[in-house]
Amino acid sequence: MEFEEIYKTYWDRIFRLCMGFVNDYDAAQDLAQETFIIVWQKLETFRNESAIGTWIFRIASNNCLRQIEKQKRFPKSELPIHLSEEKQTSLEPQIQFLYKCIAELPETERIIISLELEDVKQTEIAKIVGLSEANVRVKIHRIKEKLTQKFKENGQR
Amino acid sequence: MDNDNNIDFKDLWKRQSVSQPDMQDLLGRLKKFKKTSMRTFWILNVLLFVTCVFNIFVWYYYQPQFISTKIGIVLMVLTMMIYLFVHNKLLGKYRNIEATQTNQEYLQNLILIKKKQQFLQTKMISFYFISLTIGICLYMYEYASRMTFLNLCLAYGITLSWIAFNWFYLRPRKIKKQQSKINSLIEKFEEINHQLES
Repeated sequence: MEFEEIYKTYWDRIFRLCMGFVNDYDAAQDLAQETFIIVWQKLETFRNESAIGTWIFRIASNNCLRQIEKQKRFPKSELPIHLSEEKQTSLEPQIQFLYKCIAELPETERIIISLELEDVKQTEIAKIVGLSEANVRVKIHRIKEKLTQKFKENGQR
Repeated sequence: MDNDNNIDFKDLWKRQSVSQPDMQDLLGRLKKFKKTSMRTFWILNVLLFVTCVFNIFVWYYYQPQFISTKIGIVLMVLTMMIYLFVHNKLLGKYRNIEATQTNQEYLQNLILIKKKQQFLQTKMISFYFISLTIGICLYMYEYASRMTFLNLCLAYGITLSWIAFNWFYLRPRKIKKQQSKINSLIEKFEEINHQLES
């Protein structure tokens, strides 16, 4: 696969993964760019041992973990507090709330749920994170429960 | 366990607005990134080279008679080389940490590297100071021995008090500052790694 093709296919998905991790548009943009810089550098070493998607998501999620070192530079964007009082004419507040909730989860859970929402197969998620498939399934279930709970509490339904 | 939830997280997730930057932007950033990393590499190594050349120059030009002077020069150069070598190696390892492993392996590697950095900043710094001090004292001896006693005391006194200031004041402060940062980072990475175990 050519780099340009990879870039066009995966940019949106990688960006959302980063966004779920930091919940800050600019920081996520930076993280996604960094990811593609690594992809560009490493593309030669990619052998078809795994799917290219798995390979790219590994790079992206590792890069997210690494940015913790610089985290203090990125203050998380705050959300208006009285979200539920706004008229729910658009989905926008709900989208924002989802990303906010995800970014508040423990780091590895952010990665796991983002991959799940991105329609990555659970076998692949297991390969990206380094857990067993059964473990991933249990975790996804628990995270979804947590998110549902948070949405209920906030009256987002 | 309740199945009455009908929030479509996947749908919400994918509605996040995304703007794909032009690929030229990315390539521009790539070039800049390459340049800066090459620059630090060159600065360090040119510095090392210049120090070595300077020492060789002293050796040839002043033709030291005492063996202590020669040992002093060798010790100083060796100390700086060892320090830079270890530092360079660690930096390289950190930069080239394999990005395509699983998150779990990656985290473990990050922790390992941070622990090595911790070592470099404490033990290695102390070694560097002690070794350099011995080197300087040995090197000075030949020239100092030709001075009057008062000047000798003055020369060693100033040098040693400068080193003492560094050792007792600057070194602990620097170590303390770096350590609190690196320790909290190791703690954080270990905590994340632990999330994968539970």
